Amino acid sequence: MKFHWFAEVTYPDLPADFRERYRSAWVSPPARLADPQRVGETYRMFLRLMQLADQVGFDGLTVNEHHQTVIAMTPSPNLLAASLATSTRNAAITIVGNSLALYNPPTRIAEEYAYIDCISGGRLAAGFVLGTPMDSVFAYGMPPIEVRARFEEARQLILRAWSEPEPFIFNGQYNKLRYVNIWPRPVQKRIPIWVPGGGGSVETWDLVNQHDYCYGHLSFSGLYSSKPLVDAFWQYINDRGGNMNPHRMAFTQVVCLANTEAEAEKEYYDAVRYFHRNSAPGNFGNPPGYTTIRSLKAAAAQVSQGRSKLTPEDRIRASRGEMSFWEYDEKGYIIAGPPQRVRQRLRDLITDLRIGQLIATPHVGNLREEVAAENTRLFGLQVAPYLRDLWADQPDYWTPEASQKLVAANAPAAPRERAAACAPQIPAHAK
Amino acid sequence: MKMARETVGGLQIRQWRGGAGAPLLFLHGFEHHPGDAPFLNRLAQLFEVRAPEHPGFGESAGFDDNYDIIDVALHYRRLIESWRKGPVDVVGHCLGGMFAAELAAISPHLVRKLILVDAYGLWLDEQPLPDPFTLPPKELERAKWCDPGKAPIPEPSALEGGSEPGAIGIFRAQNLGTATKFMWPIPDRGLVRRLPYICASTLVVHGEADGLIPLAYARALAEKIPDARVSIIRNAGHLPMIEAEAEFIAAVSQFLG
Repeated sequence: MKFHWFAEVTYPDLPADFRERYRSAWVSPPARLADPQRVGETYRMFLRLMQLADQVGFDGLTVNEHHQTVIAMTPSPNLLAASLATSTRNAAITIVGNSLALYNPPTRIAEEYAYIDCISGGRLAAGFVLGTPMDSVFAYGMPPIEVRARFEEARQLILRAWSEPEPFIFNGQYNKLRYVNIWPRPVQKRIPIWVPGGGGSVETWDLVNQHDYCYGHLSFSGLYSSKPLVDAFWQYINDRGGNMNPHRMAFTQVVCLANTEAEAEKEYYDAVRYFHRNSAPGNFGNPPGYTTIRSLKAAAAQVSQGRSKLTPEDRIRASRGEMSFWEYDEKGYIIAGPPQRVRQRLRDLITDLRIGQLIATPHVGNLREEVAAENTRLFGLQVAPYLRDLWADQPDYWTPEASQKLVAANAPAAPRERAAACAPQIPAHAK
Repeated sequence: MKMARETVGGLQIRQWRGGAGAPLLFLHGFEHHPGDAPFLNRLAQLFEVRAPEHPGFGESAGFDDNYDIIDVALHYRRLIESWRKGPVDVVGHCLGGMFAAELAAISPHLVRKLILVDAYGLWLDEQPLPDPFTLPPKELERAKWCDPGKAPIPEPSALEGGSEPGAIGIFRAQNLGTATKFMWPIPDRGLVRRLPYICASTLVVHGEADGLIPLAYARALAEKIPDARVSIIRNAGHLPMIEAEAEFIAAVSQFLG
């Protein structure tokens, strides 16, 4: 079982009427709303939080790519990753990921990932993503119908650029290169590849199944929202005789740790509402051509099975910030409270969804740094060690070998001893 | 008009055919083929009409992400050649207007007269077009029709009645997804450079109240095509052949003589 630290780098000072006034948090909210000095402070805060996560035993530090949005100001996650690679020691750098279709030539991604793998000593997990519609087809203007074909061509080019022993010629539909010969090559001979999705595209499932990549269901709406799709993914893999190892599945979950439940509500409620109120994609979420007809039909079949416990009204209320703090918790959007409660809830989530890579999200919205730091510490020291027994019998091929060894050797000793001491208690929490 | 499934140069397409007289090719817009629409039947009283569904739309195959504007023009060149009637009159609406203009520029020997109806294909910085893919349904209706209250429900379309639930959404996603190849993010694939190659006498028909494509675009098309004039249809928006059918038929038949 692995635990990664992740948060969307959200602009913290949006006006109170942002949602009503600007309609979309993506693509079109005017950038004049953000003070660049404040953005810089926010970047520095995220670096500090992830450096702390590295010290308290997280297995990975996760960054992602988004464009033109108030909720994720990370147009190039590789920049953030490069900063982390030189200021952390142990954890994997899990980039989830680069939007392959958007870069011409995509060898730029092969080069930057190789750089990060070199400078971090082989700690890179390389994410290949299509990008959200807001990113790829609106911010970057890619015709939706081309995104998947460009992604696939870029994927093949990048893998060859990492592995071909000699310079080679690449004559693709979208990329024509006479001399492919990137310097440097990555340290790892076999870089773990993550292909996070979230929309349930069956083409992506085919890809991860065929190549045994780590899939990721990256959402911020939790267990009940995601369960039908995650279950459908595992069923799909199982039906095809694919690899059922839980470590090939990543999942994001917002956690809100505090010493008491009352304290959790006091410290986190405003930030949780801030995030949900200010993340709607407006009219940019579902352009024609982005999802294939085959996937649309598959999604319709999954919806008709009706296994989600979350109603459409729940989703609307959540996105408007109209749920109470504990309703967000009850509906799965967050997992909040003291460590003992969070441990149990996570154990249920992890086993229910068969997740081997939990991408914990200890910062959300406009949360204060002190609270996020305490959240990170509590998670690293009082939650993660108590859940390490999960899937311990299954090998993890999707976290870099180097970081697995470093985390095992260098993570703070105390919590691990405590975990061992408390091990007999764990069955009491387990179902 | 009768629907038929046919093979054009190896592509399986659907085509609506009917009437007798001079050959007329109708190319549909970005949302969908109009099916057995009243205006096509009116045209079929005057002409031998063929109205193919574009590759990648509805049930016409032959489209993939590589398929580009030149492939579309060549596809229609082949369709006209296989018709064996010599040069034909071509009426192109909306996205079909962009295709018709490309065809006329690339294969001038196959196009006798050309009619472009509320056609995409140009971009004017001073009059940016709205993004038809992000307009909420009600705003799209307001942009399409001069009087949305009088728009036909349902709009004539190639989607067969009695289709399974969800079929409308799938049909629309299929069509608009294909249209993005030519219209996303800006419906300009360089046509302005090729308009001067059009030899056919051209009528640029435009609904006065078209909220998707302002009238300035009709004038710009006519300016760049060597032999062209503009015919404005009042009390019509983006679909004058539906909203002002009589005026549309009159303009077409008068021009084609």
